Amino acid sequence: MGEIETGKILAMYRDMCIIRSFEFALEREFKKGNVPGMLHTGVGQEALLTAIAHSIRKSDGFFPDHRCHGLLVLAGTPGEKIMAELFGKATGVCSGKGGSLHSADPSVGNFGDNAVEGSFMVTALGVGLGWKMQGKDSVVAVMVGDGTSGRGEWHESLNLAATWKLPILYCCVNNGYAISTPVGESHATADLYEFAKAYKIPSVQVDGNDLLAAYEATQKAVAHIRAGNGPYFVEYKTWRWQGLFSGEFRPPEEVRYYKEEHDPIQMTRKLILDKNIADEAHLTKIEQEVNARIEDWVNFAMQSPLPNPEKATANVYVGWEVEKA
Amino acid sequence: MKKMTMVQALNDALHIAMEENERVFVLGEDVGKMGGDFGVTRGLYEKFGAERVRDTPLSEAAIIGTAVGAAMVGMRPVAEIMFADFLTTCYDQIVNNAAKVHYMFDGQFKSSIVIRTACGAGFGGGPHHSQSVEGWFMNVPGLVIVAPSTPYDAKGLLIASIENDNPILFLEHKALYRIKEDVPEEKYTVPIRKAKIGREGKDVTIVASMWMYHLALNAAEDLASEGISAEVIDLRTLRPWDHETVLESVARTGRAVVVNEAPKIGGLSADISAVISEEAFSFLKSPVQRVAALDTPIPFSLILEKLILPDKEKIISAVHKTLKKA
Repeated sequence: MGEIETGKILAMYRDMCIIRSFEFALEREFKKGNVPGMLHTGVGQEALLTAIAHSIRKSDGFFPDHRCHGLLVLAGTPGEKIMAELFGKATGVCSGKGGSLHSADPSVGNFGDNAVEGSFMVTALGVGLGWKMQGKDSVVAVMVGDGTSGRGEWHESLNLAATWKLPILYCCVNNGYAISTPVGESHATADLYEFAKAYKIPSVQVDGNDLLAAYEATQKAVAHIRAGNGPYFVEYKTWRWQGLFSGEFRPPEEVRYYKEEHDPIQMTRKLILDKNIADEAHLTKIEQEVNARIEDWVNFAMQSPLPNPEKATANVYVGWEVEKA
Repeated sequence: MKKMTMVQALNDALHIAMEENERVFVLGEDVGKMGGDFGVTRGLYEKFGAERVRDTPLSEAAIIGTAVGAAMVGMRPVAEIMFADFLTTCYDQIVNNAAKVHYMFDGQFKSSIVIRTACGAGFGGGPHHSQSVEGWFMNVPGLVIVAPSTPYDAKGLLIASIENDNPILFLEHKALYRIKEDVPEEKYTVPIRKAKIGREGKDVTIVASMWMYHLALNAAEDLASEGISAEVIDLRTLRPWDHETVLESVARTGRAVVVNEAPKIGGLSADISAVISEEAFSFLKSPVQRVAALDTPIPFSLILEKLILPDKEKIISAVHKTLKKA
């Protein structure tokens, strides 16, 4: 970690806190009924999300999955516009038409989630190909979970990215379960980076809860892609705090381990304190500032107006209107 | 003017579009050196190179996904799916992505893609190389379906589709690939969402498209010798189709026969018939008649295939019904 400056580590810690605090606020507001639809959170996956956010540029692109609310903010979209989108409000980044699963923002390279999980694996091919044909050196990151590795598109994407040497960073967030099914019980391997090897794509497996390990692996992958060498596959082993909608389903010891001993926030906190990068008071101040900011975003979302009814029929076609009643 | 088959007219359109705009590129199975399964992309690889004329593996979802992603960063992809029957393997990419990108992100992205595909029966292609697929896509807001019937329209509609900002499913009927007519060599466009009155008449309106349009013209010719004057409309765009032209015609003739190569249930013929009943009921002198495929998959043997498909005689008989002559 010698090469990573201490200021960077503190900035990344702060961003990890933004992700967690954002998700906790969402869970609370969801329970109150202020966030419609469904909610999947990225609590427990903050280190890898932050590592990715700090490894790509604003001129790069990314396809967020359903546990990426925090990443959308770290990418540069004002937090209140993401929060308002999740509340289904007019001030949201997609005017309340996308919600948690479809919050895109081209101004920061956010191509939006596709809630048919894994389908955007092939959309990313087109972004990478388009940029390559336009002579750009931009990289496109795809956030993809373990559960989607069974999709045909997942494999079609790896095959074509390798064949066409496309600038794609595959960020495989392996949190162990596709809803309730353990990865290894429904796939030929639980170590998904092994699939990438078959497609001759350089790949690595890292502890996604270890901020510095995740950051280092991602930096290396992005450098490889940016140099024009084609795709790279990083498997981040992690664990999601959110269980099922019906409750916790995983063994108690596993839950205890990830929440108490292998929580990325606590791990990073400990690293900062052990290395004397900052003291307890400084970290507490960061956390309090972050929490206050998130509450500002919640208030903004709460006070924002609902979408104008005309939005329901807007932008179905480019250049043509649809019947309004 | 030059006599061109529909294949040549489509090929000409691609050459013109690619020469004019370097963001236009073609991808699909065997579209490169081979020039496409039906020859529509012939000569493109030699002229524009492998970068803009891309052979793909048999990964239809990746073909459409790549097209959508490239459109999201400003490219103008023309994807080929060899047979329309194979659209099932990329249905999700078309329905849930191509058609929704513009709406769900509230206009921040455009999905300006053209998906060319060969459809239709009549040659013994069997259950997986013969289907008329428009019904599968009728219920997809945001998607446009274009379906030419002549070489002239094929060229003008393909250029218009490539220039259009919406996702367009471009149906090319295999029975029409080899028909010939005079086609201008220069660039021109034919408007999308605008039907054409191919033959004027006053007793009955026959609404059709693609191969069925030609059968309808043949039927109208035979009917003329009986003293029945049939107007024949070629829809050209199947979704959203041109209500105005059809309703205006039905208001004049007072009778309507809708012809479609797909089965009736939930399909294009059902929608056209419903709209005529809703909007032009007071003009109708008799109930709308539909001529469509039977509710079966497409059988291989030609004698069986003929049994389940619409033909000229079935169209004539439907017209007789509207005139209460049956």
